[in-house]
Amino acid sequence: MVQYNFKKITVVPPGKDFIDIILSRTQRQTPTVVHKGYAISRIRQFYMRKVRYSQQNFYEKLSTIIDEFPRLDDIHPFYGDLLHVLYNKDHYKLALGQINTARNIIAKISKDYLRLLKYGDSLYRCKCLKVAALGRMCTVVKRISPSLAYLEQIRQHMARLPSIDPNTRTVLICGYPNVGKSSFMNKVTRADVDVQPYAFTTKSLFVGHTDYKYLRYQVIDTPGILDRPFEDRNIIEMCSITALAHLRAAVLFFLDISGSCGYSIAQQAALFHSIKSLFMNKPLVIVCNKTDLQPLEGLSEDDMKLVMEMKAEAMKTITQAGDPNEEGVLLTMSTLTDDGVMAVKNAACERLLEQRVDVKMKSKKMVDCLNRFHVAVPKPRDNKERPVCIPPAVLEARANDAAKQKKQLEKDLEQENGGAGVYSASLKKHYMLANDEWKEDILPEILDGHNVADFLDPDILERCEELEREEGLRLEEQAAQDAFEIDGHELTDEQKEILSQIRKKKALLIQEHRMKKRTAESRPIVPRKFDKDRKFTTNRMGRQLSSMGVDPSAAIARSQSRGRKRERSLSRAAANADAMEVDGQQSNKKLRLGSRSRSRSRAPEEVVPGEGFKDSEQKKKAIKKAKDATKKRNKDARRGEADRVIPTLKPKHLFSGKRTLGKTSRR
Amino acid sequence: MASRIKFENSCEVGVFARLTNAYCLVPPGASEGFYSVLDAELGGGVPVVRSSVAGTRIVGRLCVGNKRGLLLPHNATDQEVQHLRNSLPDEVVVRCVDERLSALGNCIACNDYVALTHPDLDKETEEVISDVLGVEVFRQTIAGNILVGSYCTFTNKGGLVHPQTSVEDLDELSTLLQVPLVAGTVNRGSDVVSAGIAVNDWTAFCGSDTTATEVSVVESVFRLRDPRPGALGSDVKSSMVQDFFRS
Repeated sequence: MVQYNFKKITVVPPGKDFIDIILSRTQRQTPTVVHKGYAISRIRQFYMRKVRYSQQNFYEKLSTIIDEFPRLDDIHPFYGDLLHVLYNKDHYKLALGQINTARNIIAKISKDYLRLLKYGDSLYRCKCLKVAALGRMCTVVKRISPSLAYLEQIRQHMARLPSIDPNTRTVLICGYPNVGKSSFMNKVTRADVDVQPYAFTTKSLFVGHTDYKYLRYQVIDTPGILDRPFEDRNIIEMCSITALAHLRAAVLFFLDISGSCGYSIAQQAALFHSIKSLFMNKPLVIVCNKTDLQPLEGLSEDDMKLVMEMKAEAMKTITQAGDPNEEGVLLTMSTLTDDGVMAVKNAACERLLEQRVDVKMKSKKMVDCLNRFHVAVPKPRDNKERPVCIPPAVLEARANDAAKQKKQLEKDLEQENGGAGVYSASLKKHYMLANDEWKEDILPEILDGHNVADFLDPDILERCEELEREEGLRLEEQAAQDAFEIDGHELTDEQKEILSQIRKKKALLIQEHRMKKRTAESRPIVPRKFDKDRKFTTNRMGRQLSSMGVDPSAAIARSQSRGRKRERSLSRAAANADAMEVDGQQSNKKLRLGSRSRSRSRAPEEVVPGEGFKDSEQKKKAIKKAKDATKKRNKDARRGEADRVIPTLKPKHLFSGKRTLGKTSRR
Repeated sequence: MASRIKFENSCEVGVFARLTNAYCLVPPGASEGFYSVLDAELGGGVPVVRSSVAGTRIVGRLCVGNKRGLLLPHNATDQEVQHLRNSLPDEVVVRCVDERLSALGNCIACNDYVALTHPDLDKETEEVISDVLGVEVFRQTIAGNILVGSYCTFTNKGGLVHPQTSVEDLDELSTLLQVPLVAGTVNRGSDVVSAGIAVNDWTAFCGSDTTATEVSVVESVFRLRDPRPGALGSDVKSSMVQDFFRS
């Protein structure tokens, strides 16, 4: 979307400043030192660069002017005409045209002089050519300085134009001078337009903004219009005419029915009829202002007839298909007493909105958005009631909304305690617990290497009790059921007691086991080292065993032997392997061999024939001989041929002392 | 009433807050502004709880709940779960869901009676939703989007769905949910409606980019101001038309 903002046009310097800017920049940005002793090509290069640089700068500067000033044919016709009214299109175009010509002339001058400089045969001549080139360029710019001055003035004026968006919702206020247009503007917007009791206080367009039905409207205050031929109208009036002609807006035609503005109703009606062609296809509202001085009903018959005529004309501008409603066409108000001001604004906005919505509803794009007006109402699919859930506390709080005093919020606390970043609110403050003292309790996250949360279960106690109860019942039943007999033989009392003890114990064990198994899913089995109670000690086992009349020493020894210290794994592994052998004899050699890793496919002693030996025997002999030869040497830790040798990399005699004239190579 | 608020300069308030009829979750922020606004607006009627979920501040997208329960993703930490259990009333059941799609807020939309879910959600998750939240569960898409939690938001009074939802879909969804629905936007034309709005049966919080027209649509469809059954007034309609053509 095109934004009409003329505030960003860069300043146009006056002709003289323009020249100074370019020349000083050329001076600063190009080399300054040259000698006549230099090669002629270098001297030529030096001056050519200066000429070319100045030309480029001129070109850029002039181009920005041409590009940044709006082209009257390309912008919205409202702005095109407004600029034409204010600055005269011909003059404006001429100025820009001159600048364009100057740009071309300068380019041509530079081209000519560069060509001449190619043939300069001395420093002096080159310099003369450069001076001439720059001089001619400056003359060209000097010649367009009136245009530059004119454009600067226009730029300053345009920057002060109100930023009117020609496409948005607009309410346009027009009428004779001094009928109260600006007063109305001040009432409905915050524009603060100057209001004075004489004609033509408002000399240009003013913009304000107002809201209606969630939308923003642009209100444009126009200078007053006199009823005279089009050609005689001055620039101030033409601004209004331009706005009326080009903006698709709701038009408020102001009528001073008291005549205190100095124009009779007849004159105002004549104006209305002369410009009514501008109101076509726009929502038009005729506003009778200053009812505090003269109410509408008190008008003379002739005047009333004129007003009604205007109303009839205004009705014609409505191009609705249906019967036009009369509401909001003729309204009365008084900006002095504020009577009907808002009614006028609302009527204008409403009619404008209606018109714009109608247009838009017909457009193609609307089809995609139609679903958004649809309120889908549910069809009942069952008889279930689905009431709204608003907690009673909320309803109560809303009911006595007025009585509510200001609650101290966390924000206030934050402000009191050092502000954001310093204050840190306690998250536990609003905990809902059975006991308020528990709020700040610290719950361990990790206990004995276990995540506490894994073991937490809100109803773990209940479940455990329930299960135990069930189990107890079941056991009793079973006990009652099970007669004390084994294989049909009646048992003695003593035996019965023992049996019942055994069964009890068994049942307990099973129960314990099941408990463990049930919780095993959520709980890892606790290793012995975490058993803080030390329930399963060898001492206890010993006591128990001896109470049963068994000698515990062997069992204790066995359980303790498990926890033997770490030894060299090899010997233990070997010992374990040999435990299977019958004789239990093992040689040192065997151990040693066991430690070597070797491919399994070949016997350890086997020597592959080859490498120039007749057979394995011979090879074995050779290997033995080689080993023997190195045996003494290895024993003495002497240097052998297999040792790694680092030769002296930098022998001193080759790299020190005077080494002139081939000494290094002689050495 | 609908209010326009921001969370730490972001308008996506639905991302950062989870509002239900029984509680409100907000992330622990750098300042107490957001929390205080919600607390003041909800009037102390329901607890406003500061908690992260899975170590992040996007609580609105990660968890889902209604007055009966709160579902957390599997990656919510034990401490967060414990904190939430302590902070919420006992009637609200807090449960972690073992679901591959951990952004539950994006995958599930619910009120106190009905839930719409992502079509790829597990069977078990569906059961958990209906058990914990006490709702009927429907697998649905909204205007071709499978992230139902992001593109629609509804209460027991009304609902707002993705702006491209067709009229037929709207009617179908409305019958499923048994609340009036409207297709609309928040945050100046954002179609992820659930991200831009946090709403329950008596109040709504929109991102501060939301236009006056959008706020009025929200207020009328969620019936926050007047008891009319979710109708759009003619004034709203005309301003909506103007808004569609703004860009």
